[in-house]
Amino acid sequence: MKKLYILVAMLLLSITALAQDGRSLYNKYSDYDDVEAVYISPAMFRLIGKIPDMEMDGENVNLGPIIKSLSGLYILSIKQGAIADDLAADVNRFIKKGQYELLMEAKDSGEVTRMYTVGDDSVVNSFVMLSHDGAETNFICLDGTIPRDKLESLIADAAKD
Amino acid sequence: MKSIDEITRLSAEDLERISLDESIPVPEELSARVQAAVRKPARWALPAGIAAAVATLLAVGLTLTRNPEPVDTFDDPYLAYAEVEKVFAKISGTVAYGAEKVSQSEQTLDKLSYWK
Repeated sequence: MKKLYILVAMLLLSITALAQDGRSLYNKYSDYDDVEAVYISPAMFRLIGKIPDMEMDGENVNLGPIIKSLSGLYILSIKQGAIADDLAADVNRFIKKGQYELLMEAKDSGEVTRMYTVGDDSVVNSFVMLSHDGAETNFICLDGTIPRDKLESLIADAAKD
Repeated sequence: MKSIDEITRLSAEDLERISLDESIPVPEELSARVQAAVRKPARWALPAGIAAAVATLLAVGLTLTRNPEPVDTFDDPYLAYAEVEKVFAKISGTVAYGAEKVSQSEQTLDKLSYWK
């Protein structure tokens, strides 16, 4: 009987842990006042992928190689305050629980940016960027089955320009 | 009558020989005793299993209803694409800043090693 209780408890805990993702954070914070929120769904990514040779003027980024592998984008921008602090704490918790790996950290004139990924050597299942500069906290979460080499070369190429 | 310890010490050949020896009487109630000794599933097993299944379904249902899919911000795929581009430009900008700092550090290290 004890074993059964332990099994059920573990099952419930694992389901609760699954709920800690970009979507749950988006759902929690997107309805607050003074929060800018952007969500792009898997259906929209599929639609974008079907439009041939989509290119936009402005940013010098070629998303072609990875656009079909993306399945969700969550962006939250919150002006500094209690809610922004809560978001940063929640993100740090979900980074820890989700076993994300720190990709890089940059500090520039009071702005701290951290990037994390989770996946394996060949695929990135989720990319998270958290930055705060004293005035605003920004959270970006990109989900998908993104080939790691393509993601890295895309970022590296764009960084060169 | 042999004890259990004695029986467990017997070899397979001995056990076979004894089982074939018809002179040894088989107790009448042996079959009933063996069946009674076979462990039956506990009474709580079925209700506990059902309770566990219900709890799991409830947890999954609650998780899904409390974490619904948000509404798309953009109806237009071109605007959505532009937003994704902006995100990657921001990520690349941060990476470029990091790469620049690393390059500067390397140059400083080169200069230091030159004056050594």
